[in-house]
Amino acid sequence: MSKAPLLKVRNLHVHFPIFGGIFQRRVTEVKAVDGISFDVYPGETLGIVGESGCGKSTVGKALINVLRLTAPDVEISGEVFLEDNGEYIDLLSLSRKEMNKHRPDMQMIFQDPFSSLNPRMLVGDIIQEPLDLHTNLSQKEKREKVAWLLEKVGLSAEQSTRYPHEFSGGQRQRIGIARALATEPRLIIADEPVSALDVSIQAQVINLMMDLQDEFNLSLIFIAHDLSVVEHISNRIGVMYLGNMAEVGDADDVYRNPKHPYTRSLLSAVPLPDPKLKNKRQRIVLKGDVPSPLAKPSGCGFRTRCPLAKSACAKDIPQLEDVGQAHFVACQYHEEEFPVE
Amino acid sequence: MIFKKRTNSESILHKRIRKFKGMKRGYYSFIILVSLYLLSFLNPLLINNKALVVKYNGEYFFPVSKYYPSTTFDQQGYGEAQYRKLDEQFENDNSGNWVIMPVYPFHPNESLLGEIDGEPPHAPTSLHWLGTDNRARDVFARMIYGFNISISFALIVTAIAYIIGITIGAILGFFGGRVDMFGQRFIEIFASIPFLYMVIIISSVLQPSFWLLVTIMSCFNWVGMTYYIRGEFYKEKAKDYVSAAISMGADNRRIMFKHILPNALTPIITFAPFALIGNISTLVSLDFLGFGLAAPTPSWGEIVNQGISDIRYWWLILSPMGASFTTLLLISFIGEGVREAFDPKVHSRLR
Repeated sequence: MSKAPLLKVRNLHVHFPIFGGIFQRRVTEVKAVDGISFDVYPGETLGIVGESGCGKSTVGKALINVLRLTAPDVEISGEVFLEDNGEYIDLLSLSRKEMNKHRPDMQMIFQDPFSSLNPRMLVGDIIQEPLDLHTNLSQKEKREKVAWLLEKVGLSAEQSTRYPHEFSGGQRQRIGIARALATEPRLIIADEPVSALDVSIQAQVINLMMDLQDEFNLSLIFIAHDLSVVEHISNRIGVMYLGNMAEVGDADDVYRNPKHPYTRSLLSAVPLPDPKLKNKRQRIVLKGDVPSPLAKPSGCGFRTRCPLAKSACAKDIPQLEDVGQAHFVACQYHEEEFPVE
Repeated sequence: MIFKKRTNSESILHKRIRKFKGMKRGYYSFIILVSLYLLSFLNPLLINNKALVVKYNGEYFFPVSKYYPSTTFDQQGYGEAQYRKLDEQFENDNSGNWVIMPVYPFHPNESLLGEIDGEPPHAPTSLHWLGTDNRARDVFARMIYGFNISISFALIVTAIAYIIGITIGAILGFFGGRVDMFGQRFIEIFASIPFLYMVIIISSVLQPSFWLLVTIMSCFNWVGMTYYIRGEFYKEKAKDYVSAAISMGADNRRIMFKHILPNALTPIITFAPFALIGNISTLVSLDFLGFGLAAPTPSWGEIVNQGISDIRYWWLILSPMGASFTTLLLISFIGEGVREAFDPKVHSRLR
């Protein structure tokens, strides 16, 4: 991609401080996101994968700045630049009011379709709300737009007079997509949009998102833990581990030629439908569990479980380095073979 | 709501209202109480010593809405005309004049000392259904007027206290963190002030009028509601629809009152009947102690107080006690039904 990035994330940290003792002093912090950087280009899909608790959802929520609501003490640092008429605006430095001006450019689709729609509002009112907030359209125009949006996501305009509890999970997720599209955003952050759905419905929703992306030239940050889903939808993929980016690169490249030991073990665990291929593949089983983000290992976060770990890994936090073709890996030993057990 | 509702699309609130209607005991209590309360606004037309219509020498008079001195009807004495006497007089003299009196022709604040023989309080008779009190005022009239005042008082206090409590609880729950921490401590300190003593102290210094008492009671009654609302807001704000509202660019007030509050109504509505009960009881007890509404406002507590002074006047104890018992029972039934209607469990004991 030669175009200028739409969103540049630089060195993003999200820390949740933990208070303890009688005086509620700050004891330590959970480093949910610990310095990650990535770019999102216009019209592309960046998939972010990682296991539970690696901070991928936190990244999404930090980008649209909703973390402070449930965690008033959260500390967010770094820079999030959004391209706006050729200029880059640091969203993290904006006040909430200033940020609201840029909200229409960036919308979010949420994981749980059962809690992301207000149960007391009619579907039409839910989709119309962003229009109420950001446009000066007349009531009639807004209603027409809502009907158009509903049809775009494969629902009918009459369904705007229903309540969310009358819809299935897949339909609710479509309503969430229609709401996100209402402001004509350039970037949509989809936080595990299909993990709460049945597999057959997942495919429908993902195909819908891909169609809409082509139609509206959207950029998409697609956060998921399902590797095959991410492979299907993404142009580029970022692999996260314990609050850091382990590897970023083109989707095909990362899948065919994974470099980081974590990515390699992760991809070796993807179920394969062909038993012959499956038997040929070297299955890399990691030892132990993900360390707690409260007590991250020094240096490389992955070293406690890495088959390639050396003593040097405990010293410095590995930085993403270019291994060619816009493929970045945060591991200096990525060329070594895994020991065969 | 912008979109017209379809008949087969039912909001959660409508479902609950339907469920409440299915709960016979609560629903009928609700109907009875509401109709009685609405009816009690017509008290001046039903229970009064002023005639509704007087025809005198070919002219019509409407004393309920206008003051006529006794000289208007060539009556003896000073001040306002005595319509009960006028009624008697016209019936006897066949002059073609007539008076239409209210159904129960006694005013709650009117002393009947000259009309009934013996010392007040007088025992119940067919004329004075619940007798009179120690100033010879008709107890039944006072009871009915007192009903209207008690319920109005409780409704207003509940409404004001709820508005304060909901706003403060919403702010604490929504902002959390330091706001919540200091707000909660302030509320704890405030809540430890003994409410009844405060009311007694204030009403012994100032002459307690209806609105002063409403203000005092509201100021001390909002604390309980903040806890529930705060909890509901904590629960609701973690849901994704709130994040979605933020990411749309909605401001805090819109999120708090348009998005979260409609989802946090359950404690508000289920507690309302019980808050009413509490406020009625408080008013009765304050009146009983003599720190309530200023005399001669008709009130249940004051009648009980008179009855307590001499146990032979049983009607002065039994009538207000019976009335408050019945009222509170009806409201309890309503509260029970409402609570059941808001219970997510489908099957109900109360049918």
